[in-house]
Amino acid sequence: MTMAKAKQVRPAPAPSGARLRRRSAVERKKNRAAYLFVLPFVVLFAAMLFIPLVYAGYLSMFQVRIIGGESFIGVANYIRAFLDPRFLEGLLRMGVFLIVQVPIMLSLALVFALALDSGRVRGSRVLRLLIFVPFAVPGVIATLMWGYLYGNDFGPIAQVARALGFAPPDLLASGNILGSIMNIVTWSFVGYNMIIMYAALRSIPEELFEAADIDGAGQIRVAWSIKIPAIRPAILLTVIFSIIGTFQLFNEPSLLYRIAPDAIGVSFSPNFYAYNLAFISLDTNYAAAIAFLLGTVIATISYIIQHFANRSQRSEP
Amino acid sequence: MTRKASRASAGVISGVALAVLLLSGCSAAGSDGPASNTVTKEEFDKAMTTPTDLTFWTWVPDIQNQVDLFEKAYPAINVKVENVGQGPPHYQKLRSAIDAGSGAPDVAQINFEYMDTFALTGSLLDLVPFGAGELSDQYVDWTWKQVARGDAVYAIPQDSGPMGNLYRSDILTAAGLDAAPVTYADYAAAAEVVRTKTGSYISNLAPGDAGPVIGLLWQAGVDPFGYDGAETVNINVNSDGAKEVMSYWQDLVQKDLISVDPDFTDEWFQGLAGGKYAGWLTAAWAPVFLSGTAASTSGLWTAAPLPQWKEGDNVSGNWGGSADAVMASSANPIAAYELARWINNEQEPALKFSTDQFLFPTLNSVLADPAFSDQEAEFYGGQKVNALFAEISKTVDTNFQWLPFQDFVTSSFNETIGKAIAQKGDFSAGLDEWQKQLVDYANQQGFTVTTS
Amino acid sequence: MTSTQVKSVAANPPHRGGYSSERRRSNLLTALMWLAGAYFVLPIAWLAIASTKDNEDLFTTFGLWFGTKNSLWENLVSVFTVRDGLYLRWLVNTILYAGVSAFGAVLLATMAGYAFAKYNPPGFKLLFSIVIGAIMIPLTALAIPTYLLFSGLGLTNTPLAVILPSLVSPFGVYLMRVYSADAIPDSLIEAARVDGAGEFRIFWQVGLRMLGPGIATVFLFATVSTWNNYFLPLIMLNSSELYPLTVGLAQQQAASAAGGGSQALFSTVITGSLVSIIPLIVAFLVLQRYWQSGLATGGVKG
Repeated sequence: MTMAKAKQVRPAPAPSGARLRRRSAVERKKNRAAYLFVLPFVVLFAAMLFIPLVYAGYLSMFQVRIIGGESFIGVANYIRAFLDPRFLEGLLRMGVFLIVQVPIMLSLALVFALALDSGRVRGSRVLRLLIFVPFAVPGVIATLMWGYLYGNDFGPIAQVARALGFAPPDLLASGNILGSIMNIVTWSFVGYNMIIMYAALRSIPEELFEAADIDGAGQIRVAWSIKIPAIRPAILLTVIFSIIGTFQLFNEPSLLYRIAPDAIGVSFSPNFYAYNLAFISLDTNYAAAIAFLLGTVIATISYIIQHFANRSQRSEP
Repeated sequence: MTRKASRASAGVISGVALAVLLLSGCSAAGSDGPASNTVTKEEFDKAMTTPTDLTFWTWVPDIQNQVDLFEKAYPAINVKVENVGQGPPHYQKLRSAIDAGSGAPDVAQINFEYMDTFALTGSLLDLVPFGAGELSDQYVDWTWKQVARGDAVYAIPQDSGPMGNLYRSDILTAAGLDAAPVTYADYAAAAEVVRTKTGSYISNLAPGDAGPVIGLLWQAGVDPFGYDGAETVNINVNSDGAKEVMSYWQDLVQKDLISVDPDFTDEWFQGLAGGKYAGWLTAAWAPVFLSGTAASTSGLWTAAPLPQWKEGDNVSGNWGGSADAVMASSANPIAAYELARWINNEQEPALKFSTDQFLFPTLNSVLADPAFSDQEAEFYGGQKVNALFAEISKTVDTNFQWLPFQDFVTSSFNETIGKAIAQKGDFSAGLDEWQKQLVDYANQQGFTVTTS
Repeated sequence: MTSTQVKSVAANPPHRGGYSSERRRSNLLTALMWLAGAYFVLPIAWLAIASTKDNEDLFTTFGLWFGTKNSLWENLVSVFTVRDGLYLRWLVNTILYAGVSAFGAVLLATMAGYAFAKYNPPGFKLLFSIVIGAIMIPLTALAIPTYLLFSGLGLTNTPLAVILPSLVSPFGVYLMRVYSADAIPDSLIEAARVDGAGEFRIFWQVGLRMLGPGIATVFLFATVSTWNNYFLPLIMLNSSELYPLTVGLAQQQAASAAGGGSQALFSTVITGSLVSIIPLIVAFLVLQRYWQSGLATGGVKG
């Protein structure tokens, strides 16, 4: 036994000759297996992510006109995009969406997660499910439902307002539509983000709370100083997903277009704009340029955020 | 009828001429070749007796009735009717399918205003080789002009949309009016009376629908579009005439005498059902869309001519009007052509379109048919409404033209003048904005643009 | 540390369990949370109530309470018979697309995640960071270029057009990597190697067994993602027999606005929507154990 232990403790001798060749063979076999494992995914990944992106870039350098056919125009479509007030307006709108809706949604998710984790709420298990259920509802149906609920003549919200005696605001008017859409998105995704944070909270090791326990710190203090910092990775994850999701907004403008045609223009969101360019204006090449811009810009923003967040995390003791 | 993007009016086409032609053994050769060949009787018989599946994209309500009759006449042919949307969604899907080379139907409903748009891209099959050229004098002249381009015929006309004033006689009576307003000046006064005495709006101006607005401009003699069939387009939506018409409506809208709700939505249907709107300036095909949600108002409506701009005038405009076309990509062109022709050319189905679905016919033999002209429509409380619309349709200016990129015309309408309507703002500025967008787009697409 | 502190640490395992039962319940917080819960349930409750109304009732009665009669049965019949039972076709399509995509996505992601966790050949680190970077690429923004690509290849209007893009799940790879690193001890793999097992055999018999909750999570989320997808099938598919529920219902909603004749009415769309969300909700309820712990791993490790 002592001999075996000693054997384990002594460092392995440097490989020599035959043993070196054998080890490399084993290594090679492992490496080959590793590449085979990832091959299916990587092939499809390249096919579904990179090739379309590259193709979009390629298409964006051409132009097809009803009169005149196809011609090469280089980066003219991108110059056009940067000067296009509708595209920029759509981007700006998404920016507003981002700085208003995302913090609200994630704060709510965090508050709910903390509240449910604190154990001071009765029926927390059922509540968890109730809050999460909207995630299982497709965005299409959520928009149809809320579109009806918002209806100024027959929607229940308006009905209740009238019953209470005050004139209901037109939730589908162009001044309110962004807020109304923010509501739909928040309703749909608070639960999902909450669950991510809640699961992270549940995994916090007990020791972290011992000191607080001894000090007699209150719940809110505990939440602020211990819980939230401990689940930073989870919060970061939700932030990144929310950013990506915001710039991809399509379902809501597309489905509300019919019932609020003045509030929702064809360039309401960049994605919706690309869709309308491709399928209504028949300007596929410009649409490709917009899609390419959108894809690369968001990827860059998200990557930068993640990079900085990781850096600051690594620098922590 | 040409409606804004969403509505398609089915046309009724009688096939008497074609039947005569075929029976007389008019020879044709080559069923799938280019225009120079024509279809022989043998090829026709073979195609119509071989089991075939056809897909037909249309949104005309209850068109299954006409299709059933067709299937009875040709038992070997099986037709699948699909409603892929009303107006713009239908056209988008059609175009995507054509571009993708898969999934396109054999026959599709095409509004008159979209005919150029699809013909220009070579998506429609020229129907002359199948005998369509012989049908021309069976149809109302100007509707045939909408489907014929040079020597080619791209579709069989189904219906047109002469516009009139459909109003709730009970509401107007309650407001103390016993007849529909004759001039627009009368109409404005009546709008006030109806609103104050009954709370209803005398009509609604939809902010997301280019069709009725263009129809009203049409009535006023405004000619906003022109296309020479090649590379030149004429765009003039902000002419003085157009602005004059729209400022009239702006006045009424801003006084809250005309509502601005989006049409063809569930809320709007409920508005019609509940009497929020006392009338609708619309085309002859309107009632078929009221037979669902607004069915409870059947019997309370009366039709009258549109109000006139000048005392003593009698002109109208057109909203909608469609034809059935065969897609160039169809694998069964003979059977597809026969489907498009048969339901719109044989007397029985064509007449049915008018008597059952209230589509306004383009087929002369239906217009002359007493079953049509004498029909006492229950929806209109027994009024002989067809005779009225037949008179109205004679007053429609037949020289109206469209642009070959209609999808963009309608979508930019929503963004510009449509938005002005919805926000009860400056309609004149809205028209200017629309003009600018259309001219920019036409230039960008390589057209030569004139603006007179 | 005193003996009592040592005992309390020993008594409470690192995973927090007994913490909650020590605190007293707060009525205020409970009330507020339940109010929030009501907000989330409201539209679904409305959907359920609205499904019992016929078209007229939908517009004449108060939205959040029942109508004059119970038309649920008629509505259900209408949902499944309209247009020759196209709804059922849509349901089958949705299950097919979601099922095949999820299964494929899980297979690909698990193999890749396992490999990234347990092997380190040259170039792997770079490959992994590219994959993770790809999580940031907004897939919807790529839908149109993908459509144009497929259109050139003649792949549009086929089930493959919807399934292929859905097989790629960078987040799934990430999750499976984290989970594999966590749940499968290296020693077990080494032991199997020593026994002479091939790499794939090891993966199949040793690794997979321990990845249960992770697989369930990725499977569930891939299913949800494909089930709820609207944009991709909307642009890829033209024939209404190929539609999934999302696109079909949206189209039916647009068609119901025609309002005339035998077109589907709004009440049919509402009831159809209700029926379509039931399967997913049930799936979530049944599988909650798995996805809750699966998400925990992904969220914490970061």
